[in-house]
Amino acid sequence: MFLEVQNLSVDLGEFHLKDVSLEMEKNEYLVVIGPTGSGKSVLLETIAGFYRPRYGKIYLQGSNITNLTPEKRGISIVYQDYMLFPNMSVFDNIAYGLKKKTDDRTIIENKVLDMAKVLKIGHLLDRDPETLSGGEKQRTAIARSLIVEPHLLLMDEPFSALDVNTQSYMTDLIKKAIEDYETTCIHVSHNFNDVWSLAEQVAVMKDGVILQRGIVTDVFSKPSYDFVADFVGVQNVFEGEVLGREKGVTSVKLKNGQTVYSSESYYSDSKKVMVAIRPENIIFSNETFISSVRNQINGTIDEIIQVGPVVWIEVKVGDITFKGMLTPSSCEKLGIKTGKEIYISFKSINVKIIDGEESYNSV
Amino acid sequence: MYHKLHIDTMRTKLEIIFITISFIFTLLLFTVIGSLFIIISPLDVIKSFFSYEMLYAMQLTITTSLISAALVMLFAIPTAYSLSRYSFPLKTIIRSILAIPMALPEIVLGIAILVLFSPSLLGEPLKKLGITIIFTTTGIIVAQFFVAIPYAIRILYSIFNYVNKRYEFVSRSLGYSEFETLKNVTFPLAKNGILAAGIVALARCIGTFAAVLFVAGGTYLKTETLSIALYLNLSFGNINMAITAGIILVLISFVAIVILEKYAKETYM
Repeated sequence: MFLEVQNLSVDLGEFHLKDVSLEMEKNEYLVVIGPTGSGKSVLLETIAGFYRPRYGKIYLQGSNITNLTPEKRGISIVYQDYMLFPNMSVFDNIAYGLKKKTDDRTIIENKVLDMAKVLKIGHLLDRDPETLSGGEKQRTAIARSLIVEPHLLLMDEPFSALDVNTQSYMTDLIKKAIEDYETTCIHVSHNFNDVWSLAEQVAVMKDGVILQRGIVTDVFSKPSYDFVADFVGVQNVFEGEVLGREKGVTSVKLKNGQTVYSSESYYSDSKKVMVAIRPENIIFSNETFISSVRNQINGTIDEIIQVGPVVWIEVKVGDITFKGMLTPSSCEKLGIKTGKEIYISFKSINVKIIDGEESYNSV
Repeated sequence: MYHKLHIDTMRTKLEIIFITISFIFTLLLFTVIGSLFIIISPLDVIKSFFSYEMLYAMQLTITTSLISAALVMLFAIPTAYSLSRYSFPLKTIIRSILAIPMALPEIVLGIAILVLFSPSLLGEPLKKLGITIIFTTTGIIVAQFFVAIPYAIRILYSIFNYVNKRYEFVSRSLGYSEFETLKNVTFPLAKNGILAAGIVALARCIGTFAAVLFVAGGTYLKTETLSIALYLNLSFGNINMAITAGIILVLISFVAIVILEKYAKETYM
């Protein structure tokens, strides 16, 4: 195992970790999600060595690093608010860690230039960090962390301070940079977009405890705690293959042979994608109806579970199951019962396409 | 144009009253300090300035103050840093104790130091080591040190709090030790505050009076700092000398404030 966190407990008064265990393989990308104050940052900072755990051990590449000082761990950290040293230029910020390793100016200069090229900040190297935009600051911070080729890269809400357009641009850039530099990465976030677009693995944290950890599709489709379900929102997540895109609609063939339509485009070279539909977007009907709704699928009711004021309905279509929700009165009106045949409908705009080769391969 | 005019005419009553009070007070203060400069002729000031006694007092004040301010910084930086960064037992109590001298009248601090270094307590053992504090120039440094250090700690504490510890975390994670991180990151980021603390400490050392009088004794041409010179000359009726000492002290404070305003305004004020 590349990284092994065993029963880690930390108490900082306001923030704490309780018995956190975590394992990671080399080159894995793990996103830890959870609400504010759930202990995500403390987890990162303890792995990096800034806080001493009360109990527990941390192993990196087989050696116990629990009592090692941060500078000897080879673990870099990137923060939401960048933490660029204001007393240094962009170049000096990026070169900072490298200068500790070598005095050779040519090596430093070449490595900084290469890194700046990957993250597209080559034109900013002479600038004062305070004059940069949020996205540029974050790329500089990531460059500074990656250039020392850390064993492990920790990112604490790296995109939260950026606007939505910059976020998606950054996601692509960082994905590439992390692949180029073959880095294992733990990324802490409260934003699901980060999970969909970057993660293979996800862990959900609350009150200093990791509630669930696993492959993204599993955690999102089979949440093991009510909190996880509430927080991530139960999703219908299915693997599929893109058939094509026409007139603004992407057709995806699911494993069971069913084709669903999405208004989202896809960017990956691979045609293998995942689609996600939120249960509240699924409409139930006893017959087909003519409307603008693109997806209309026939299935059999497999299970009915009443949770508080909501009835969860699971509909089997071939060997996959769609989850939807209804009120008890609608159930009555439609005559919902196990084994009944029913139509489920959802708009193409509500079908999210997740195009991640990595995420697919790890399933 | 219209907009600006509009705002000017729309001053509220409260605004007018408060601004007027500020003006009146500033004028009052200016008059108080300014009176020093008009009471005696410039020629007398110059004559007193270059007198042997005044030059001696200036030289003694500056030497002792520089030494004490340096010692203050040497102790205040680690103290303030640990108060800002680390958690340790009795931290809250220690912080309060360190602030006491600020609220304490200097005269009480003076008598306390006098008692501590009197022969019956630390005086005798220190004497065996060849160190005499009471009625010596060393005593001046000790008195100045205790008067100034709480101010320096207070300023440095807030400046270290102001420097986000995550800068240090990043530096550590990139391979630098704690000391290297202090040198490369923390101190450069805190430099204005450190400068401010140094200047305030120096100004406090220069202006220390009661504590110096008690510990070092106000001895003519021996432990005669500028404030002691002011006091001694006033009691002997040498008004010119006393006022000149006052003027020098005012000018030193003025220079300190100018430096503070220029370099340390944002971080310290």
